[in-house]
Amino acid sequence: MKRFSTLIWLEHRRNWMWSLPLLGSLLFWAWGIKQVTVMDVGERLGIRAGLLAGAIAIGTLVLCIMIGRIRSETRNGQYQVLLMSPPAGYTHITARFTYAVGVGFAYYVAIGFLFWWVFALAGIHFDARSLVDLILAMPLYGMSVGVFPLLAYTLLLMVFVSAYRISGKGWIPGVVMLLGTPVVLQWIGNGMTRILWTLPSWRVFENVPAAVYEQFGQGEGYEFITSASELDYTGLPIEPMLLMLALTVVFLILAGRIWQEVEA
Amino acid sequence: MINDKGNWSIDMSAGPIFEQIAKNVHQMLARGALKPGDKLPSARDLAAKLNVNPNTIVHAYNELEAQNVIEKRRGLGTFVREDAPVTGMKKDMLHQAANAYADEGRQLDASIQEAITALKEVWDVG
Amino acid sequence: MLAKLEHVTKRYVKNEGLRDLSLDFPAGEVVGVLGLNGSGKSTLLKLLAGLLFPTSGTVTVFDGAPRSKRANIVFLGENDALWPWMTPSDAMKFMSNLYDDFDAARFTGLLDSLKVPLRKTKTMSRGERGRLRLAMALARNAKLYLLDEPLAGIDLISRESILSSIVQEWHTDETILLSTHEVAEAEGLFERAIYLREGRLALDVSAESLREGGKSVVDTFREVLA
Repeated sequence: MKRFSTLIWLEHRRNWMWSLPLLGSLLFWAWGIKQVTVMDVGERLGIRAGLLAGAIAIGTLVLCIMIGRIRSETRNGQYQVLLMSPPAGYTHITARFTYAVGVGFAYYVAIGFLFWWVFALAGIHFDARSLVDLILAMPLYGMSVGVFPLLAYTLLLMVFVSAYRISGKGWIPGVVMLLGTPVVLQWIGNGMTRILWTLPSWRVFENVPAAVYEQFGQGEGYEFITSASELDYTGLPIEPMLLMLALTVVFLILAGRIWQEVEA
Repeated sequence: MINDKGNWSIDMSAGPIFEQIAKNVHQMLARGALKPGDKLPSARDLAAKLNVNPNTIVHAYNELEAQNVIEKRRGLGTFVREDAPVTGMKKDMLHQAANAYADEGRQLDASIQEAITALKEVWDVG
Repeated sequence: MLAKLEHVTKRYVKNEGLRDLSLDFPAGEVVGVLGLNGSGKSTLLKLLAGLLFPTSGTVTVFDGAPRSKRANIVFLGENDALWPWMTPSDAMKFMSNLYDDFDAARFTGLLDSLKVPLRKTKTMSRGERGRLRLAMALARNAKLYLLDEPLAGIDLISRESILSSIVQEWHTDETILLSTHEVAEAEGLFERAIYLREGRLALDVSAESLREGGKSVVDTFREVLA
């Protein structure tokens, strides 16, 4: 445990120039939200939600960049120091992932809170079993489906590229992985739509307020809302979450395994 | 490369280091830099000072012990024996120096009288 | 045998790093690994450290695969660097928490005797960084030390200080492999000298036996490798 916490400490010392500004940027987004003073309530909500969506995207990007900073280490010889250290590759990988997830969790929960605030300012209130459910559930779901696998994948990609650095052809497997990704994603997406909602879904909220239908009810992608317009809200599908968590674990194991086999 | 640390002098091209260390001790005794009963540095300390392997110093000390010049006193260290043959060493060193002088003299075709005169002239000045 | 290579060949993309090299290393030896640039010195040390894997042949350290024994191996690479923001006290935290055999008191003593400044490594000179990394290496109680050019780019006074520290900290059951271009200064430490030429073993000999013949390790270097 001492070793793991030391690796986390190392991660923080290595990355605070990314993680702290990221968390600090929340103030900027909060300020940005206050600056939106469009007259129409719906429009105001839309712009604010859009800003937060942007914050989510940027946050994910920053976290991926942060976790993928292996190249500079291989060049500067720090990778050698880590490879020669007693902790196993899995431990190193897990420490990096844990740090990024820890920072991400704080970030996305704060954004979740900002979303709740933004909707509250528009007079829309969601019901949930508790405030904790309200604030934590969506970030957790979103992180599980989107952020975890992305971070693990970035880690795997960078370790993979580093593994072939010695032979000078590191970019080939990297390009292969990148090109193959859309294909794999499409395959996963197709497979997923077939199994959606076969397992019990996660009722994050007790219901979705009528006001939300009015604002967002039109357009595709909101089937889960419109289909619930008969007040038959089914909740969030649990399958993508489980699948992505499983993928995350697979990526991390692969990355840990490659770390053990890397030459430096 | 010649490693010169005060009284200790090692030339890497001049034969095994352990022999040179032993010879250095002889020289120091002959010149009075070391006296019977004096304590020698520990093998590790001397090795660190001269940047040589401690085993080499141990080898040198063993050699000197076999020559009855030094002895190990348990718990206390390594010391020059009280009965170390200092006068003998002095005589040996003088002889060695004399040999070199004599060689030079013979090469110059000098007579022994010339050699002694030159020696006398230099002796008090140098 | 503490470590051994059996018919080890290491091939890189463009050239062969080592060719059919077989060597045994018992416990308690201080070995000089000598050769010109590109002769395979670093490759040999990295293979023993488990940082490289042989193209053919086997490398055995403590009766196992080197990488799996890394907790008992000290590798001081030529290129490995610390993080620029690290101070010696950060390094101490890193080492004492990740390694069981790290002696913090000895580390502090070495920082003192090697005159390592207590600042971030990015503000240190190359020599100071080298001395810090050496302090980290020598403060460990391992059985196999692989020092790859520990004197490279370091001023004369520091080099002598480094060699002296290595002598001070070495225990008779430990094996040290030291590769260096500063053969003249370091040769006193070696019991055994291994000369590599273009990835092959040119000569493997006891240093003192070379001197019996009136030649230093440096003299032999010129003979064997020129």
